[in-house]
Amino acid sequence: MKKTGYYLGVDVGSVSTNLVVMDEDENIVYKLYLRTCGKPINVLLDGMKTLAGNLEKDVYIKGVGTTGSGRQLAGAIIGADAVKNEITAHAVAAQRMIPDVNTILEIGGQDSKIIILKNGVVCDFAMNTVCAAGTGSFLDRQASRLGIPIEEFGSYALRSQSPVRIAGRCAVFAESDMIHKQQTGHSLEDIIGGLCEALVRNYLNNLAKGKEISEPIVFQGGVAANVGIAAAFERALGKRLVIPKYYDVMGAYGAALIAKKKMEEGKGKTNFYGFETAECSYKSKSIECKGCSNLCEVIEISSDGETIARWGDRCGKWSAQLKSATGDGSLM
Amino acid sequence: MKKKIGIPRSLFYYQLFPFWKTFFEELGAEIVVSDRTTKKILDDGVKSCVDEACLPVKLFHGHVINLKDRVDCLFIPRYTSISRGEYVCPKFGGLPDMIRNSFEELPQIIGTEINLRKSNAAAFKAALEIGSYFCSHKKRIERACHMALKAYGDFVKQGVNGKFPGDLLDGSQPKAVAGSRNGRLNIVVIGHAYNLYDSYINMDLVYKLRCSNANVITVENVSEEIINEKSAQLFKRMFWNFGRKAAGTALHILDRSDIDGVIYLMSFGCGIDSFVCDLVERKLRHSRDIPFTILTIDEHSGEAGLNTRLEAFLDMIRWRKENENYISAHG
Repeated sequence: MKKTGYYLGVDVGSVSTNLVVMDEDENIVYKLYLRTCGKPINVLLDGMKTLAGNLEKDVYIKGVGTTGSGRQLAGAIIGADAVKNEITAHAVAAQRMIPDVNTILEIGGQDSKIIILKNGVVCDFAMNTVCAAGTGSFLDRQASRLGIPIEEFGSYALRSQSPVRIAGRCAVFAESDMIHKQQTGHSLEDIIGGLCEALVRNYLNNLAKGKEISEPIVFQGGVAANVGIAAAFERALGKRLVIPKYYDVMGAYGAALIAKKKMEEGKGKTNFYGFETAECSYKSKSIECKGCSNLCEVIEISSDGETIARWGDRCGKWSAQLKSATGDGSLM
Repeated sequence: MKKKIGIPRSLFYYQLFPFWKTFFEELGAEIVVSDRTTKKILDDGVKSCVDEACLPVKLFHGHVINLKDRVDCLFIPRYTSISRGEYVCPKFGGLPDMIRNSFEELPQIIGTEINLRKSNAAAFKAALEIGSYFCSHKKRIERACHMALKAYGDFVKQGVNGKFPGDLLDGSQPKAVAGSRNGRLNIVVIGHAYNLYDSYINMDLVYKLRCSNANVITVENVSEEIINEKSAQLFKRMFWNFGRKAAGTALHILDRSDIDGVIYLMSFGCGIDSFVCDLVERKLRHSRDIPFTILTIDEHSGEAGLNTRLEAFLDMIRWRKENENYISAHG
């Protein structure tokens, strides 16, 4: 019997690690959204085990793509064919789901992005600058400080009668402003409602300044689950947002699409190590190189005692000893 | 014995070192330049400088620490202006004072003011004063000054002829590929010389661009004549030396069809950049919609953020180029 071919996309982000299995027709057949919890390797391996347990035995992976800030790490562990930045991955995925998309708003764990497309081609983008105010990790922290499950955060905002003004430019300012408002007696709903508005205001000012936001506008990334933020965006823009069905794993889906394109262009055999790789034990170790006064923090990834990848050295002394499993387009 | 003069490899080093090198050598001084920026130099600088300063000024402090115990004097002139009618960042004017107040034990500091705002003669006077630390013959100092101007002129000319000033000052980065474009992208990087040519602080931006099949073009590769002609089109004269160069370069880019993208390399918290960057972006986007992005650098040593932006920017340019002749079916 002929085995069916699938593509695996992995997005290792600061807050969540997402895995997507896609069939030859680019349909998502399985998706996983896991919390990274500061342990990208363990979570990735757990995800791989879950996938192996849930997929049919005749599934075979024809290509693997990784993205997200942990894309290099993930690529080295599972064997990636394509290692791509998350801006490109998100754009590719949104365009596949909503072909005439003109604007993509993406808010993830630590980054927020705006991507502008013209005639199906990315023509401009911006990412948040130094501060991660208004991203998922900040919302997470506020939810846990207030003792509200993050899933319910948005619905509190929707119940707000008169949202208070919160300083949204800086995460530290926002938190202290929220605490001051709470101590003067404002309701939780109004504070959270105000926070959502502040974050949207900050996003539009910081990222979207001078950019034309035209419909269709797709809102994706983990924060798209927050109905309070989505509503604040629609109010501020006076336009409707489209939230795709798989809004939370769009990066991983994009990585799978990029891997498929690369394999179809004749890359040959996949680098994928197989689902068994999840049974191996991986260790990451950081060494401070004493070779010069740069004191580079070198990362070494080993699998069952064998070193499989190294990076972090500015001069290439450590990484050059190994041919690491990164795809092209990687700057490291 | 030759007197050892210490020059921090920081700030104006990246613009004026060829001048001062010749000048001091002609006067018989031994020049000691601080080491290339390392993590230790950066850490030392951040620890010793006032915390509200920008990263390049903090880094300058680190370079002073690297030098101070192995030289007879430190060369930290008070740069007020390096061109007629224009200023440089006011922090440069305060550098000798900042350094004196940040450290207890320092060798002699040569902190002569250099102010060309009103006339070049003032610069000449400053050179005589600086020279007098090493030599008492006025004629010899004048001669050193002329030789230094010639060396500086050669350095500037090499830049205009397409050489990369970073390669001329510090040969540690892979060289630009000469000759035809061969499918390489031409990327203009606008930024202060001290950010652009210090590969530690910009996380090897130039190296990464070159490895990603791109040629790097900078403000120093555009001639003063072109910059002046172009910047004269602005609605009013620029206040800052760097501002005129950046704006002139941006307007020059608009005349060229071989530029694929523009990166503005910005220091976090830089007052000049906050104005100039916006002006450059408006000029570029308003008339031609050339791919443009801003990279902000500060104390980060995690490179993921910079790499992601850079990779996505180059992806976008290549994607746009592939589709230049594409006409949408949606109209």
